[in-house]
Amino acid sequence: IKLISDAGYQGEITSITTAAQQMEVFSRMLKTSVIKILTSGEEALLKNIKDLAEMICHAEHTFVYSQVLLHVLMQESRGAHLMKRLCQEIIKQAHSNSQDVTSVAMALNGATAYPRACQALAAMLSRNALNPADITVLYKMYSAADPPPVDLIRSPQFLELLIDALFKPGSKLNPEHKSKYVYLLAYAASVIDIFKRSQRSTLKQDELKATMQAVEKVHSVCMSGKSGTELVIEIPSLYQCLKYPVVGIGVIRWVEAIVMETSYFKLSTEHTPTHIALLDEIVSCHPLLHQKVLDLLIKLFESKQDELEILVQLEMRKMLLDRMVHLLTKGCVVPVLKYIKQCWDKGDTDVSLIRYFVMEVLDLISPPYSLEFVQFFLPLVEHEEITGSLQRHDGEQDRVSEFIVHCKANYTSL
Amino acid sequence: MANVRDSDTSLWLHNKLGSSDSWTTGSISSQLNSEVLRNIKECFIDLQGPVKVKLLLSFFHIPKRNMDDWRMEIEDILEVAQADSEQWVAMLAEIMKSYPATSCLNLEITEPEENRRIFLDLVDEVTKELRRGKEVNLLPMECHYVNKSVLTSIVGPQKAPQKHFKVKKQTKSSTLRYDLVCKATDAAKTSAKK
Repeated sequence: IKLISDAGYQGEITSITTAAQQMEVFSRMLKTSVIKILTSGEEALLKNIKDLAEMICHAEHTFVYSQVLLHVLMQESRGAHLMKRLCQEIIKQAHSNSQDVTSVAMALNGATAYPRACQALAAMLSRNALNPADITVLYKMYSAADPPPVDLIRSPQFLELLIDALFKPGSKLNPEHKSKYVYLLAYAASVIDIFKRSQRSTLKQDELKATMQAVEKVHSVCMSGKSGTELVIEIPSLYQCLKYPVVGIGVIRWVEAIVMETSYFKLSTEHTPTHIALLDEIVSCHPLLHQKVLDLLIKLFESKQDELEILVQLEMRKMLLDRMVHLLTKGCVVPVLKYIKQCWDKGDTDVSLIRYFVMEVLDLISPPYSLEFVQFFLPLVEHEEITGSLQRHDGEQDRVSEFIVHCKANYTSL
Repeated sequence: MANVRDSDTSLWLHNKLGSSDSWTTGSISSQLNSEVLRNIKECFIDLQGPVKVKLLLSFFHIPKRNMDDWRMEIEDILEVAQADSEQWVAMLAEIMKSYPATSCLNLEITEPEENRRIFLDLVDEVTKELRRGKEVNLLPMECHYVNKSVLTSIVGPQKAPQKHFKVKKQTKSSTLRYDLVCKATDAAKTSAKK
């Protein structure tokens, strides 16, 4: 194995179990995988990161070694954010393999310089569950005059646990302690805390109160069990609160739990249920949450809806495609088109749905088009099976021809 | 484990840590004490490579107060491990040498020379690629949660997304939004009248 690796054929070594036995061989595989992430396009990025995380989490010693490497690379200003994200993705993968890596993560992120906060946080992260005693310790520290760095409570795992506690239907949160959970989540989301040479140079908490109020307000709506007109009345204030990204994430969590219930669409009377409409607002306000919303829409689009008649199922899926079109118009272009193309390639989606999506998009867009957009969209528009049966008198065929002619005339490489 | 004789320590460790699992469960840490750790140091050099690796990793599962009590013994084991001929053992010991005293890992891999070379080559080559390649715009996960001003303070101003087309008319979504706000206003009026 070492000889194969020495000769530069890392790609040929397919057994990570074998590679992980030799540090030098593993190091080369690690280098190849990280460089692949740096050089591959946006399209393959998430897949390559997942492959890297799986490879690293194969064994605990490869996990520790790789985390150390990524922390060293984080000190390089260019790429520091990406290296941090890779660390987080790898930790997430370890969690999904049911491994507790809290002590290693804490030993690298500087948390140990604040032993009390670190201990309270580690106790919760290790068990992957919050508890009022440790939350109270953190609350007291973060509401005191000289709080620990906000970075400690910006651990993605901790934030996710807080979101679940406050927004997941059925979460049993002791009302006596609720405000502390809200405070910590809002603090993590809103406080600017800058350190220079281990000394705090800035602590800005001016958005803390408003963020807390928004989290509190939306939490109370989500937990009230309101639906129908009662929920519609809350729309203006929900829209107001959704300006805060953290509230957006909470609402996605809540909506996901509600709409994934088996009878949700059967019982719904509106064309676009209010819960789903809230996702549009999140998409409009927060580009960074596009992928999360798209993931939920895909989950719904692919969910079995056996309780609905076939035609109602089609209507429901068209309504979901309307949401995807909205995502597309707000900048989430490649991921949406890639998904629709994948639906078409797999052949398991009713062609009328693909046609619906194509026509809705053609109805909204006008040039100039990016080359990337044309490369993804033109094959769908051109396909005889998708657009061949459209009627000329509705102007549908005109829109199709117009787009094709424009693309052929302006993108000579096609 | 307290009553296990010194000569049995090696056998005990092989039984406990000799499985093919690639992750430690930490179960061994509840059976450690100063005396056992001293015995481990004595027999460490003769343990099998994978057992040595797992033993070192099991130190991550030792509670802080025990780590403070056993610091000397654990540091002694790490010192022996740093000179081990097995690359992974020496590397882990080098990474963990500061852990008993500070609870932090050591990021400056200096010994042994061979390991230092492998690690620095790895860092250098990835760093070169980081400087050379185009920046991959994937932000840390916490960035999804934070307010805009905080995001700017963490990662700087975000580039405007690439334009792929123009939108020529109002989308169904914006009509729906308008309708919902009107419905909410009407419903609020009706409920106020009641």
